[in-house]
Amino acid sequence: MPKARLIDTSKCTACRGCQIACKQWNNLKAEETKQTGTYENPPKMSAQTWIKVEFKERPGEWLFRAHTCMHCTEASCEKVCPTGAISHQGEIVVIDQEWCIGCGYCVQACPFHVPGKDEEEGTARKCRLCMDRITNGYETACAKTCPTGAIQFGERSTLIAAGKQRVQTLKSDYGYPNANLYGEDVLGGLHTLYVLTDEPSVYNLPEEPQLAVSNNVAQWVSGIITAGVVAALPFWLLFRRKNQIGIEEESEVGGTR
Amino acid sequence: MAWSWAIYLYLWMAGMAGGAFFAAFLAERFAGLNNNKLLKLSTYFGVPLAIIGVILLIVELGQPLRFWHLFTEFDAASPMSLGTWILLVWIVIAVVMVILWWAQNNILKGMSGTVGSLIKLLGWIELIFSVLVIAYTGVLLAVSGQPLWASTAFLPALFVASAVSTGVALLILTSSIGRSIPNRIIGRLAEADAIVIGIELLVLIGYVIWMAISGMMGAGDALSVLISGTLAVPFWLGVVLVAVLIPLGLEITNWGKDLERKGVWRAIMASSACVILGGLVLRAVMVVGGQL
Repeated sequence: MPKARLIDTSKCTACRGCQIACKQWNNLKAEETKQTGTYENPPKMSAQTWIKVEFKERPGEWLFRAHTCMHCTEASCEKVCPTGAISHQGEIVVIDQEWCIGCGYCVQACPFHVPGKDEEEGTARKCRLCMDRITNGYETACAKTCPTGAIQFGERSTLIAAGKQRVQTLKSDYGYPNANLYGEDVLGGLHTLYVLTDEPSVYNLPEEPQLAVSNNVAQWVSGIITAGVVAALPFWLLFRRKNQIGIEEESEVGGTR
Repeated sequence: MAWSWAIYLYLWMAGMAGGAFFAAFLAERFAGLNNNKLLKLSTYFGVPLAIIGVILLIVELGQPLRFWHLFTEFDAASPMSLGTWILLVWIVIAVVMVILWWAQNNILKGMSGTVGSLIKLLGWIELIFSVLVIAYTGVLLAVSGQPLWASTAFLPALFVASAVSTGVALLILTSSIGRSIPNRIIGRLAEADAIVIGIELLVLIGYVIWMAISGMMGAGDALSVLISGTLAVPFWLGVVLVAVLIPLGLEITNWGKDLERKGVWRAIMASSACVILGGLVLRAVMVVGGQL
């Protein structure tokens, strides 16, 4: 049975305990921070920051969402990786640190902007769903430390049921008409699920995230047609024999400038 | 920023190398020219460009010594994997063609005809790989999660048009060094370039409009980085003016004119220099802009 995380934004207080627990368990470095106009800290996800509470401010309300790897069933990073260094280990998407060449393609391909390229290590790095903990029967470090129960770890199907129930409660009892469960079906099903109090876009999540390689054929066709047909045309127009006034071989004696 | 200067230099160089071969081969085949002067020019300059580009790519890797891992995998769904092999084949064929041209006049002089047909056959194969190389430079970016690159299917078309245009410009500039190519052919190349730049302009307009109306998440914000944001100056000056409008204007006003005239010759050379420089700005603006 696949495991998953359920992150309930309605319970998050932005204490950032998950960020610290993640850093400690995974031996991730602290990052230099700077004031970017919000309380978000550090400013960006990176090779050393695998989970980060995003702040969304709007009148009368402050929204928090811990952003981290979704462990997509159809993972863009895995699909574009040119060396096969990224793979699924069960439900977990893992970057093999011994095989990754640090090309950065996964960084560009992830629809959630999760992986980061580490300048010192020279490889791409991201959340491993605490593989070493969960294979030994523990929950992930972020879930373990979360003081409000906003991050839960467990069976995916159980969490989906719990998430749906929570969404119902938020709608009926707490006045969140747009509450929804994110991640049940997109990209083949995510293994980080969210209870959101509002539309995904409010939380910087794509409504329908696309697999990076889903437009592969269209992009190749676009390039090949432009070259093979459109860009070839002017050469045919200007160089075909019928048109060549004076480009005969014998005239090739060189310019006299 | 995971991809920086090495990447856009590489995309620019590989595009120019592939574009030059594409243009030289088509011009010679359509015109029925068999001396391969343009084609030789395109490979003599294109092969070093492609190789330097590949070296830049390897240097840019986080783990450069592991670059060989790329050759343990063939994954058609990953543009980078596919592109690695396409580029390898392109370089190998081009090098073999250079060797054969040399051998034709030396150790294989006796079977010059056979070698000639072999070169011709390789040329056709290399034409296909040139198309793949120049398409690849755009597809690499377009198959991603970055809104500036992936929201439309225009980017590969734009990079292809730019690659052919910079390739022609490279032929024009380098042929003027050796003076081995008749001025009439250079003039025709400049005219072909004008049409290709016209196509590039249309694709660019299509790209901007599509980005503006696509409604994909982040597309509008990504576009505004180019149109009015951080990269507005290099976009309008470098891409729109230097890569497209200036050379287009110069080539149209000198269309059909005799390159023997100094003013015409200078205009064509200046326009080619603009195309090459602007092509670099286009790659830089797109690579950097997509990651902002």
